[in-house]
Amino acid sequence: MAETILALEGATKRFGGVPAVRAMDLTVERGTITGFLGPNGAGKTTSLRMSLGIILPDEGRARLFGKAPNARTLDRVGFLPEERGIYKKMVAEDAVTFFGRLKGMPAGKARQRAGEMLERVGLGDARKKKIKEMSKGMAQKVQIAAALVHDPEFIILDEPFSGLDPVNQKVLESMIRAENQAGKTILFSTHVMEHAERLCDRIVLIAKGRKVFDGTVNEALGTVPRRVLIETGEGPDAAPVLAAHGAVTDDGMTGEGTHRYTLDLAPGSDAQDALKALVDAGVRLARFEPVRAHLHEAFVHLVESAEREPA
Amino acid sequence: MRAIYLIARREYLSYVATWGFWLSLLSVPLFMLVGGGLPALIEGSQPTRHYVMVDETGAGYGDALRAAFADAGKSEALSALRAAAEPLGREDRLPAAEAALNAEPGLEGLPEAVEALGLPASSVSIDGTSRFIEVDPPARDAESLRPYLLGEQTIATEEGDQPLFAAIIIRNDSASPVGISIDYWSASLTDTALRNRVQDRLSDILRERRLAEAGVPRDLLNEINAIGINARELNPERTGEAAEVSAAERIPFGVGIAMAFILWTVIFSVVNMLLTAMIEERGNKVLEVLLASARFHEILIGKLMGVAAVSATLLVFWGGLGMLGLVGIQTLLGAADLPVADIVDAVLDPGILLPAFGYFIIGYLMYGAVFLAIGSLCDTLQEAQTLMSPIMLVMFIPLFVVMAALQSPDSTVVQIVSWIPIWTPFVMIARIPSDPPMWELLATTGLMVGFAIVVIALAGVVFRQGALGRANADSVRKLLKLGKKKPA
Repeated sequence: MAETILALEGATKRFGGVPAVRAMDLTVERGTITGFLGPNGAGKTTSLRMSLGIILPDEGRARLFGKAPNARTLDRVGFLPEERGIYKKMVAEDAVTFFGRLKGMPAGKARQRAGEMLERVGLGDARKKKIKEMSKGMAQKVQIAAALVHDPEFIILDEPFSGLDPVNQKVLESMIRAENQAGKTILFSTHVMEHAERLCDRIVLIAKGRKVFDGTVNEALGTVPRRVLIETGEGPDAAPVLAAHGAVTDDGMTGEGTHRYTLDLAPGSDAQDALKALVDAGVRLARFEPVRAHLHEAFVHLVESAEREPA
Repeated sequence: MRAIYLIARREYLSYVATWGFWLSLLSVPLFMLVGGGLPALIEGSQPTRHYVMVDETGAGYGDALRAAFADAGKSEALSALRAAAEPLGREDRLPAAEAALNAEPGLEGLPEAVEALGLPASSVSIDGTSRFIEVDPPARDAESLRPYLLGEQTIATEEGDQPLFAAIIIRNDSASPVGISIDYWSASLTDTALRNRVQDRLSDILRERRLAEAGVPRDLLNEINAIGINARELNPERTGEAAEVSAAERIPFGVGIAMAFILWTVIFSVVNMLLTAMIEERGNKVLEVLLASARFHEILIGKLMGVAAVSATLLVFWGGLGMLGLVGIQTLLGAADLPVADIVDAVLDPGILLPAFGYFIIGYLMYGAVFLAIGSLCDTLQEAQTLMSPIMLVMFIPLFVVMAALQSPDSTVVQIVSWIPIWTPFVMIARIPSDPPMWELLATTGLMVGFAIVVIALAGVVFRQGALGRANADSVRKLLKLGKKKPA
């Protein structure tokens, strides 16, 4: 059984009596990439802060490497907060070295690693440049270097892709994969579902401070009704035939003279059965297209379901 | 400890690398140089004024005035000689100095008189009379003198051709009860020193003449004028010769007051640095990054320590410079027994130095924690200024109390203020040379330490909320509004 790196056990946090996170259970296993998803204000940052012991839960507890977060366990963690910040008057190499030393690295080693990390994020030539003289994207890369300078076992990234252009997002994705392949455990929060879909072994979705989903990407996609787009020519009406297989939406006539329907397959129904029923009923098919669900739909579906539930 | 050290080190280096730090470092000695040198510079840069005196009365008032001016210069010189001799305990050399001064007309004997005290001739100078020089009048009536007074014509002087500054005409005046009047002609409406001097001296002369006419002998008159009483200051805690209080004994009181002002200046200079740095850090969003590596209390203590090191640097530099300045003055004046040693002894006295150090630490931590907490709530300096206004008012009160403590260190007001923890550091350090009761010293210090712990703990809570963006300046305003009574 894989080692649990992080565990939030029934963690609840209230601010001014209002719950920000409610009875949160979250585990991160060694060697995995876990995506922590949720809409704005869902409680992601509060959960991550509790994980690191920056704030203490009102109920429940946080365990980092099996212990309450402390200076030693924190030294094994690299953290990139959502609120990006770094000393603007420092030169990049000094800033990264400083954070390396804060994590317990000897001065010489920290400086050497700072140089390597800046090289890795593409800032090798700017290592002696003051951060205030850098672009926002460059400063963000310095911060990524600072979070990883001490070669942490566990990397927590809060919205790491926000503020980066598509090219640098791709660079960061590669870095995350490389770190994971090197045996590092990664937990990151994001709004961008494409990143989570491409990177994560597992996703945890929260809404209104509560966990609403915890599983693999495929399991998340399984929560969304499978959909088929159908267009028919002249002949028998397809709607009564399709109704036996799920919920049908009549989208009306298309510009090309065909009639369009959307079928959300009922649980247990299969697209092939619906196709067979249409053919048997003599419906003239112009289009029959099963649509692959994306994590975005799963996200919207799960969040909307959670919001419909009473608080 | 590692995080505290690294944060403190980073803070220290970040301040030392700024222009502001070096300006602060140099501003105090510069300010002292300018403050100390400016009056002398102004005095030294006064131009020499040339005047004429015409006595129309024929009663010898002009000559009497000239003699009085010379005497006045002498008595001014004697006062200066006495002021120079007393702190050095060289009163026994004063008669020789006085004799040397009186041996020559006017102030010509002053250099010899100063040397008689064992001081370099240049160390005592009399400025009062030297900038007004009488010259022979080019004419004897106001109308003829007018072009000289207006600068249309000049007179030959040692400094070249100059206009006349003033013309003093002493004339008979039957309407005056004393029978004479002075017409003082001058284009300068603001520099009235010469006019006042002439008026005062001539009044003295008239008074003396009247007394002489009334039969008061000249010797008696001189005797009356010379009347003055000598007061010895004695300390009842001592007996015999040792009971006499010397000027050096007052130095610790001055040092206590100076320490209070230095403490105040240093604390409020550096806590302002803390405030601005905190605001900048909040703006830079660095705190959350730090929190992944260090706890709140480590960040708070690290910042306070870093800035404490900055202030220690300032203090050591200013203190060292002050000591060097004293030694420099001693060397320049060539006197081995100036009270430099007494001042240095008073400053380095563990009875003052150790409490000063302790009060600095506690005062700094107390105010530093408050300013850090304010900084953690504010995004801009303007926001911080709104919250700081009441604190600034509170900060200035001990300055007035310390000034009052100079005259009466044991007055009721000063004693009461010593018990208010936020003012204790400044007021108690000023009171220490006057030996307040030990119980009062310990109790006020204990109260201050307890209060500081509470303030730092509360500041820590505010800092935690501010650092995570859970509170800001508006939160404080809302809190204060809740505290206000709603109108009925």
